[in-house]
Amino acid sequence: MTVPSSHLLIVAAILFSIGVAGFFLRRNVIVVLMCIELMLNAANLTFLAASRMHTLDVAGSRPDLQGPIFAIFVIVIAAVEAAVGLALVIALYRRKQTVSLDAAVDLKD
Amino acid sequence: MANALFYLMAAVCVLAAVGVVFLRSPIASVLALLTSFFCLATIYLLAGFQFIAAAQILVYAGAIMVLFLFVIMLLNLAHPPKLEAFTFSPANVRRGTFTIVISAGLLALGVVAVLSSSTAAVAAEMPPAGIDAIASPNGPDGSAGGGLANEMFSRYLLPFEAVSMLLLATAVAVVVLAKRNRPGMKPAGPEQASARHAP
Repeated sequence: MTVPSSHLLIVAAILFSIGVAGFFLRRNVIVVLMCIELMLNAANLTFLAASRMHTLDVAGSRPDLQGPIFAIFVIVIAAVEAAVGLALVIALYRRKQTVSLDAAVDLKD
Repeated sequence: MANALFYLMAAVCVLAAVGVVFLRSPIASVLALLTSFFCLATIYLLAGFQFIAAAQILVYAGAIMVLFLFVIMLLNLAHPPKLEAFTFSPANVRRGTFTIVISAGLLALGVVAVLSSSTAAVAAEMPPAGIDAIASPNGPDGSAGGGLANEMFSRYLLPFEAVSMLLLATAVAVVVLAKRNRPGMKPAGPEQASARHAP
């Protein structure tokens, strides 16, 4: 593939913006968590695009491994975030019988 | 051919991401997100990251999405109640404006930053082994024994161990959070729930 790495970065920016929009628009906690996953994936794509850029355009063909390594860490953190977030969803549902963020305003009021 | 596949996958990925946000049913959102993740894995593969593509499929499609589906099924949320139509109430307008400003601003920032940086118009062909080979005969400095695994367990050992501790702590925390009867806390029984919904 000879697509310039900047196109990967632009795809990542679009994905991140969609994730941000969903994070603010949706009231369903599960969909909000999915939007966070989307944003983490966009960050991953950015890491990998930067690594590819360093490998192919800057450093000859020497593999740049920082991008893939941090992408692995981001994947692990996404799994952790999903586990904790879904446990919170279950706890919220048990107390409020709903998964709407509009019900989780006890600390705000 | 590979370039065309990349643009196709990027388009499908973005469309599926839009679907995650705008589809009504959570199940449909999960399936859209799954589509998006598969397309992203293809993009990783095309860009020369074979191990990351495999990890993306295994961890996201195999584990995280199943977790989401499991919770949706467990809480019986597959068929959400019919919502009232969208209205231009002040709260909705405020939220929509805020969302558009924030996300469009971030998008513009990202695109401008990318376009204003000087990068090659066409990337070189990637090395056939990919960028993230687990073990490669030559290290980054030309020494023997490079590759992802070597880096991970030498230079990045401390973050690796920190992430393992994070996983352990998460396992404990999730058990504590999702446990049914905690001492000193009244479980929300059905009578309380019905009382709350009565008025």
